[in-house]
Amino acid sequence: MTRSPNRRDLLALGALGLGSALLPQTALSQARAKIVIIGGGFGGASAAKQLIRLLPQASITLIEAQATYTACPFSNLVLGTDRTLAQQTFSYDALSTLGIQVVAQRAVDVNAETQTVTLSDESTLSYDRLILSPGIDIRWGALEGYSEAAAELLPHAWKAGPQTILLRRQLDALEDGQSVIMTVPPAPYRCPPGPYERASMIAHYLKARKPRSKLIVLDAKDQFSKMALFQEAWAEHYPDHLEWRGAIDDGRISRVDAANNTVFTDFDSYSAPVINVIPPQKAGSIADKAGVSDATGWCPIEPVAFESTLQSKIHVIGDATIAAPMPKSAFSANLQAKICAMGVARLFADLPPELTVFANTCYSYTTPSEAISIAGVYSNASGQLQNISGAGGVSPLGADIGVREAEAAQAAHWFVTITQEAFG
Amino acid sequence: MPKSWLLAWVGPLSLLSLTACNPGASDPPADISQQIAASTDEGARLAAACAGCHSSEPGAIASLVGYSEAQLLERMTAYRSAADGTTVMHRLARGYSDEETALISAYLSDGEGEE
Repeated sequence: MTRSPNRRDLLALGALGLGSALLPQTALSQARAKIVIIGGGFGGASAAKQLIRLLPQASITLIEAQATYTACPFSNLVLGTDRTLAQQTFSYDALSTLGIQVVAQRAVDVNAETQTVTLSDESTLSYDRLILSPGIDIRWGALEGYSEAAAELLPHAWKAGPQTILLRRQLDALEDGQSVIMTVPPAPYRCPPGPYERASMIAHYLKARKPRSKLIVLDAKDQFSKMALFQEAWAEHYPDHLEWRGAIDDGRISRVDAANNTVFTDFDSYSAPVINVIPPQKAGSIADKAGVSDATGWCPIEPVAFESTLQSKIHVIGDATIAAPMPKSAFSANLQAKICAMGVARLFADLPPELTVFANTCYSYTTPSEAISIAGVYSNASGQLQNISGAGGVSPLGADIGVREAEAAQAAHWFVTITQEAFG
Repeated sequence: MPKSWLLAWVGPLSLLSLTACNPGASDPPADISQQIAASTDEGARLAAACAGCHSSEPGAIASLVGYSEAQLLERMTAYRSAADGTTVMHRLARGYSDEETALISAYLSDGEGEE
């Protein structure tokens, strides 16, 4: 009863995006590339969209356990201003409409040899190419005393969502005059300037709502992204509400006692009703299952098509990768996704992936209406990502408020664009 | 829905589908390869970075839609050559060569870079 579809059928079905679903399976099996993407953040969603554009006939499956995505960029504003988490939340409906199969399961295992992914419902999916965009996981146990249970008392809020709300509620419950503590891990971690934007937003909140309170930042580092610009802003706006201590001033914490709301440095201890522990991190744990993470906890890749150097036919993009000097940012994840997708499409067309030039831009708010930025341009021509000298850098020091307000407006516009790029 | 859009969408699908009916075809057909080569060429790869900030969406940073190649090249060149420029675009533009700047301008001016 089946008949070969004629050209007219194909045209009609193709226009509806249904052609592949109704064609006989055997006829399709040879030409239909199977690409599975794990992780529906900025990297995974952007990769899926780019791939379906480049390979409209391929089977593109996006595996993401969460029904919606909660974006980390701008989530510091949820802590310090009246921005809501709803403004951070995006659905996968647009991706489904494009023909991407969005599977609401957790990927629990990857077998690189048999090229299969096992899902939480125990079903398996096979792939020709796998793209992992697993983001970060907390490196539980790396900081003594900081466990999943401890994070319910001392939130990390380094994955936007319930943790963000928990930290905001703790700030709301703070009595005027009580302290807030934030701890910052050594690099690398997601969003290098993120802790300092967060410090700015919490200090803004305290200045406005709990003026006798103060934020103390305990940092494992002595240098950080946009440091001079942040410190300039802090001196101007938060001299009484923000104190930063680097490693040289005993800022590195070695242990936490969540039950007693206390963190310990080498020589001292600090207690406060609100403690935001930004903990050490690693690639999302599915990377370990797939065998693409190394002893550092992150994933080495070749920087042209972002294929793992540890497993063939598995590509890794976004925060999980070792891509320094390209930072772990939403902008980087989106661009790596697009370049990876182009490389993968070329491989299916028997074309070699080719070199390119990458860029990154990250804005950070210092007040609700002022922002600063860092930009970088990177080459992959040497076999690893490298800064292109003479390019990139940060906003000017000592600039007038118009420059800061202009960058705040650009930041807001960037958020609209990057979320549209990934989820629109 | 503009007709040209429909044709652009149906074209590659129908080619792939017809190929799929040919048993034993394991290599991608030449036209598909050419199409992928074109849509992933150097201009497309370089301009992928621009779309991180610039789109045709309302509320987005300056849309690049509607500029000629010459206009885009002029603006990019101005950003690259302004020694005292401090905006994000000044800092980014300095990372691209003459040839790369020309490829980006050409790519973005033909509308391929916009959704």
